[in-house]
Amino acid sequence: MRTTFRPVLTTLTRHRGVVGSMVVGESDGIIVEAALHVGVAGDVVAALAASLYRKARRSSSAAGFGAVGFLTLEAEHGRLCVIGRGGLVLVAVADRSANVGLLRADMVGALEALA
Amino acid sequence: MTLAAAERWVEEPLRHFIDDARVRRTLLLHGSGRVLAQHGFARSADVMSACALAAAIRASAGELGRMLDGRPFVELHHAGEGDQLYLAEVPTPRGPHVLLAGFGAESSLGLVRLYRAELAERLAGAAPAAEAAPQALPEDFEVDLNRNLAVLFGRA
Repeated sequence: MRTTFRPVLTTLTRHRGVVGSMVVGESDGIIVEAALHVGVAGDVVAALAASLYRKARRSSSAAGFGAVGFLTLEAEHGRLCVIGRGGLVLVAVADRSANVGLLRADMVGALEALA
Repeated sequence: MTLAAAERWVEEPLRHFIDDARVRRTLLLHGSGRVLAQHGFARSADVMSACALAAAIRASAGELGRMLDGRPFVELHHAGEGDQLYLAEVPTPRGPHVLLAGFGAESSLGLVRLYRAELAERLAGAAPAAEAAPQALPEDFEVDLNRNLAVLFGRA
């Protein structure tokens, strides 16, 4: 089933280095819709990314920093970019070659679709 | 709350599951309803009731799944206002077991599902290889259940 999120996911997955993008429920970590390359463990990444975002949001709130904007996790072999709104989080899974600036711009622009 | 296990081989895999998935209550039981381990329950009567209900729900869901989908449903989730409940079959070398986990806002369904899969892998690695899986016979059920409850609540 295709949802209104499909164009957003297609756009993100066209970025160089992006191997998958997903819309995930923030509270349950379950995939709403995903566009993933073969070999990306979508369920696993979705659950952990949503958990990470939830914890970041709570940490930010506890520290008095307000709402979480854009969350990136940089690892040895790739990056996880997460942004959320309205109980949903948009997750992009990318390797080190991805241009995070461009990706961030598209993810921020896609927030409207999540609301 | 501490973890108590009637069979040692389930203890370490379950401890990992509880820590990783951040569940508040956990039961691991044999498909027949015989409890193997518990975490988060204060009274043996609660464990006994929860085991009986979990085994019954699993059996009903299994039949319902066969009717609707041609195969049993192996996972059930209920989202309450505060706590959530997750009931799933966990395959082990000693036969299918049932996991009942209660969790709150500190965890999520996705995380619990994720770590349930890891629990199954760890149980597969921890299961005693040589020993044959004990058969759950109706005549032994109550004795087994009471013995395990006594072990879990320190009365053995």
